[in-house]
Amino acid sequence: MRKYRAAIVGAIVGVLALGVTACGSSSSSSSTSKSGGGSTSTPSAQSVPLKSGENPVGQSLYGNKKGGTLTVYSSEDFEHLDPGESYFELDYAVDYATQRPLFSYPPNSASQLLPDLATALPTTANGGITNGGKTITVHIQPNVKFSPPVSRVVTSKDVAFALERGDNPNVANPYMTYFASVIGAATGKGGPWAGISTPNNTTIVFHLNKPQAQVVIGALSLPITSPVPKEFAAPMDKHAPTTYGSTAIVATGPYMLESNPKTGVFAGLGYQTGKSATLVRNPNWDASTYTSAYKPPAYLDRINVEIGGDASVIGPQVLKGSDSVQLDTPANSVVKLAYEKYPSQITFTPGSGDHYIALDNQHGPFANVNVRRAAWAAEDRAAIIKERGGSLTAAPATHFIYPGNDGYAQSGGAAGPQVPWNTDVNGNLAVAEKYMKAAGYPSGKYTGNAVIQIVGANNGNSPAIVQIFNSALTSLGFKTHVSLVDQSVMYSKYCGVPKQEIDACPTVGWIRDFANPLTTLYVTFYGPAIVPTNNSNWGQVNNPQINAAMVAAENTVDQTAATQAWANVDKMLVNQAVAIPEDFDNQANIESGNVDGINDLWDTGSWDFMFTSLK
Amino acid sequence: MARYIIRRILWGIVLLILVSALTFVIFVVFPTANPAQLRAGRNASPAIIRHITVELGLNHSIFVQFWDYMKGIFFHFNFGYSYYSQQPVLTLIADRLPATLSLTIGAVILWVVAGIPIGIISAIKRGTFLDRTAMGVALTFVSMPVFWLALLLLYFFASDIGKFPLLPGANSYVGLTADPGKWFTSLILPWLVLAATQAAIYSRLLRGNLLEVMGEDYIRTARAKGLSERRVIWHHGVRSAITPVVTVLGLDIGGLLGGAVLTETVFEIHGIGLLNFNAINESDFPIVQGTVLLAAMFIIVMNIVVDVGYAYLDPRVKYS
Amino acid sequence: MSEALLSVQELRVAFHSDDGIVHAVDGISYEIGAGKTLGIVGESGSGKSVSSLTTLGLTRGSRAQIEGQMLFEGRDLITLPDDELRKIRGNDIAMIFQDPLSALHPFYRVGAQLMETIQVHRHVSKSAAKARAVELLELVGIPDPKRRVDQYPHEFSGGMRQRAMIAMALANEPKLLIADEPTTALDVTVQAQILALLADLQERLGMAIIIITHDLGVVAEIADEIAVMYAGRIVERGTTQEIFGAPQHPYTWGLLSSIPRLDSPRGEELVPISGRPPSLINRPSGCYFHPRCPYVRDAHKRVDPRLEPANGSTGHVVACLLEHAVRDRIWDGIQSGRDPEALRRMADASPSPAIPAGATPAAEESDGTDSEPSESRLVESESPAGERLPPTESPYIGPEETR
Repeated sequence: MRKYRAAIVGAIVGVLALGVTACGSSSSSSSTSKSGGGSTSTPSAQSVPLKSGENPVGQSLYGNKKGGTLTVYSSEDFEHLDPGESYFELDYAVDYATQRPLFSYPPNSASQLLPDLATALPTTANGGITNGGKTITVHIQPNVKFSPPVSRVVTSKDVAFALERGDNPNVANPYMTYFASVIGAATGKGGPWAGISTPNNTTIVFHLNKPQAQVVIGALSLPITSPVPKEFAAPMDKHAPTTYGSTAIVATGPYMLESNPKTGVFAGLGYQTGKSATLVRNPNWDASTYTSAYKPPAYLDRINVEIGGDASVIGPQVLKGSDSVQLDTPANSVVKLAYEKYPSQITFTPGSGDHYIALDNQHGPFANVNVRRAAWAAEDRAAIIKERGGSLTAAPATHFIYPGNDGYAQSGGAAGPQVPWNTDVNGNLAVAEKYMKAAGYPSGKYTGNAVIQIVGANNGNSPAIVQIFNSALTSLGFKTHVSLVDQSVMYSKYCGVPKQEIDACPTVGWIRDFANPLTTLYVTFYGPAIVPTNNSNWGQVNNPQINAAMVAAENTVDQTAATQAWANVDKMLVNQAVAIPEDFDNQANIESGNVDGINDLWDTGSWDFMFTSLK
Repeated sequence: MARYIIRRILWGIVLLILVSALTFVIFVVFPTANPAQLRAGRNASPAIIRHITVELGLNHSIFVQFWDYMKGIFFHFNFGYSYYSQQPVLTLIADRLPATLSLTIGAVILWVVAGIPIGIISAIKRGTFLDRTAMGVALTFVSMPVFWLALLLLYFFASDIGKFPLLPGANSYVGLTADPGKWFTSLILPWLVLAATQAAIYSRLLRGNLLEVMGEDYIRTARAKGLSERRVIWHHGVRSAITPVVTVLGLDIGGLLGGAVLTETVFEIHGIGLLNFNAINESDFPIVQGTVLLAAMFIIVMNIVVDVGYAYLDPRVKYS
Repeated sequence: MSEALLSVQELRVAFHSDDGIVHAVDGISYEIGAGKTLGIVGESGSGKSVSSLTTLGLTRGSRAQIEGQMLFEGRDLITLPDDELRKIRGNDIAMIFQDPLSALHPFYRVGAQLMETIQVHRHVSKSAAKARAVELLELVGIPDPKRRVDQYPHEFSGGMRQRAMIAMALANEPKLLIADEPTTALDVTVQAQILALLADLQERLGMAIIIITHDLGVVAEIADEIAVMYAGRIVERGTTQEIFGAPQHPYTWGLLSSIPRLDSPRGEELVPISGRPPSLINRPSGCYFHPRCPYVRDAHKRVDPRLEPANGSTGHVVACLLEHAVRDRIWDGIQSGRDPEALRRMADASPSPAIPAGATPAAEESDGTDSEPSESRLVESESPAGERLPPTESPYIGPEETR
């Protein structure tokens, strides 16, 4: 998922007043949140304690007040309202309120999938997973209806169509790789997949050519599995790009975009480009069509999304006003204001992604593993935490599976694998020099001629973070060349283009797609996942053992074993220092005083419209 | 005069084409994100990126793209489609233009009504406490960043977050036809923001001009004729002093009609400025191209208006 | 003499400036009768314009100090309130200025500016005013007046503009016309036309004219009486014949000598008056002219001359400490081209006047220069297009003695 632009790079600088400094390397840890979502303890820092109401773990989901209209502020506009195309945080917020994927995470869990459109989570025990992990059988709720104008009962064919259209170039879903193991998926182009069969209206069966049931089941929580009526959408899918989701759409969730009931057209009504969007109740939604474990209460009557505006104005409007929440990351000053004056109106959600420094594993000085280890050892992660605003919003990262994901604890939890270059979050020059020597520089400093090319984003606190890494490198004798550019340019023109051979990208980050650690490690560190443009394996990591380990983990059917396998992959990544982890992020979100907002722990704390209510 | 106007208009069209070409070049040369890649999103396959590139017409050389774009405008009055929302650019601009017009026209009226009398009175009462105070206040406003003043006004007077909740705050703008009352009250603070800095500039400008004019010989002649001092000041003095101010006003209007980005952002008024700003961030090139052309057109038109108007104001100026 | 139309008595006009008090006009008196012409002659900085601007109250201001009397038809213009004075301006007393292009408003038609003058003083309809405007343009000799009345000043030639200016001044048939350097900005042929026009109008309308100029040649033709001003004072006054026939003041001699003459031999150098006009803030001690006077004696540096009858005739007055007989001899000498040294010796031979009580003490002599260079402080900006005195050093200026 793509987060708001400001958020990925810019957390809070001004919270300096709350003054968190990492000191020493003794590990007295204090937890700032309960387990479940994952702990965010800073191994060797004073933690600023969260005030009451700030930790969304353990929030109470049911029994709240019904009714009212919520105003949601978003600085950026929607990108794709078609669940077959979305990957932006704002799109997600609307998708999950208006569509029903097969499986969903409840707000209170980052890793425990529950059935949504489906009736049960498939396991080997209940016969959902068979054939050695190559066949998945899912049953769906029998009486779910589409919203007007389609208004008919959803069938398994609608789920199949939803997935298959992802391959249609006019839809171009970015997550199709997760379904690559489904037979016929690779060559679908929008037509039927041989590997999906629908023996009856409430059953859908996936035939995989590899035992990747775990992966596929996780992927079936993505918006793309929300059913789409073929008779309604197929004509729109002929347009390039499809007009399903830009002109008209239907919903299966508790809410829908306000639209013309005869045509389903919402453009101009439920959505005004660049201005606002309106969600109203879906008249065809039936609250009883859920299993007991997951039941969205849908308290609100209406949700207004207001697009645009200035973050420093919106913050006070939300905090001092009523009935509103901000979907973006609040501005620095606003977080400070909220923390000090409105503590019950701000939440810090752990497990909201991570940041790391991508190092070019194939070209230049960083192709040498010991040089990478040296750079890691020299890097001052505590300074980065300070730059991000202290322990409220970040903890030093020590490996690549971040809190909330399966495998986090198995891979070492907060402290991570205890290899010499990882143990000191403040950076340790002596250790670093040791590895430089091992790399073939007897003096402990770099003596080659290469100039390290560093490209970072130029907004928020990114320049300062780049500078921290730069000092680490220069202390090892490297000459560097730093370029700071617009964040999207950084990704699309430099770091995401392997041919550019950028040595280091210190302001890249990742947010998973679902709880399976594959989504955190695969696209980013798997060799064959490297693509010539829009590449996300920024370091061009292509280690045969790691590749093989990932394939093996991907094909492990048993969930516990799979989790352990991925944790081992993570340890290998740390061992090979493929990149330098910087921080595990907590996401700050603000709400008005009379809003009982519920944060989705699995979605960087995004406000969940189906569970939020007004007091 | 008619020939002059026609000539200027023709040159104006040439200029617009040049501006359009320059915008194309800027987008290609400067490191902006490739819109196809941005649209395709994270980790898209090359096939998808290629598909989007073709769909957006980005696979052609920029000359072909430019030619297609010009053809679209001249033959079909089609300004292209947003890369993101596929909405026609013309529709988006037409949708946002009323807000910018409302903002501009109201602010202009306010600052003219405020700035001109203050400038005249300051000049007449030069050196007095009144003059010094007025010019001091004006200097303060001239130095204020628009953005800062906007935030300040909101923090004081916005009904939702202000200390003295008097006026609607940010994001309260509605169209004139939708609710005239709310339209008006929601624009008061934004108008004040724009007018404050501009009125300060205009009052200082007019004061300076008028002081200079009052030292001219024809003022002495006017007094020698026995005219009342008021007539001397207004009919003879202000009439001369105001001519350069009118010129500047025309150009300022032209510039503002292209969108007052800062004010629109802070008050969340969905005008041309905000549209342009967001489009730049999203590398939504057709929209940027459209808004740039629009802004350039306004400036060119106002330039012509000002130049022609000047000939009416100052009879010594003659165009052929 | 018939009762004077305008009688100026001991007029003093001083302006407070940042560098000191500027004594623009320092006690002048003159009179002019109806239908007569007075010429006021002097360099720029002599105060000639200020005195006539004061007539119309155009020098009034917070920084101006005006003393004396200016009786116009029995009323004192200096003490008259503003609204009364405004009724006189452009009505009973009218004024025309040096540069008609800048003195007319560039944005209004000539006709409209004429009509304005008429309508501010009389209740007439617009059409009547316009008709009168056309009539006036015709009166001053502008051809095709019906077309011209709707034109703008920049569409007129220089001479025509000055005629239009005169037309505007005459609109309400003033009793007194003050013409401040009316021909300075025009070329010579046009100059003659304008002067002829003024003379003609005076005859027809019976108005008095005060003509202010730096050019003695101009007033020779048209003035009845001439007053020569220097450093804010009148230094000589008399009829035109008296001034030209028997000038008494060395400054007047200088002015007369510096008029270029068509009949002077080719190659003969013009004889300028050496030195520059004095500062009106720190004026010279004694006789104001002494730093530039070739005939200065010691006593002249300490005694301030008064206006006295020149040779018994009460009409011709001069403010000079030289004896009358000596002056006559020197003037004869100048006219016959005697060598300047010889002339100076003649002056030395003249008996020195007694130094009356109250004269400037020796220690306080000053030569009229400022202790530090400062900009011109006169409110009126006079820039005569003609005369420009070269800053030659006078052998008589000693080391600066400042207070």
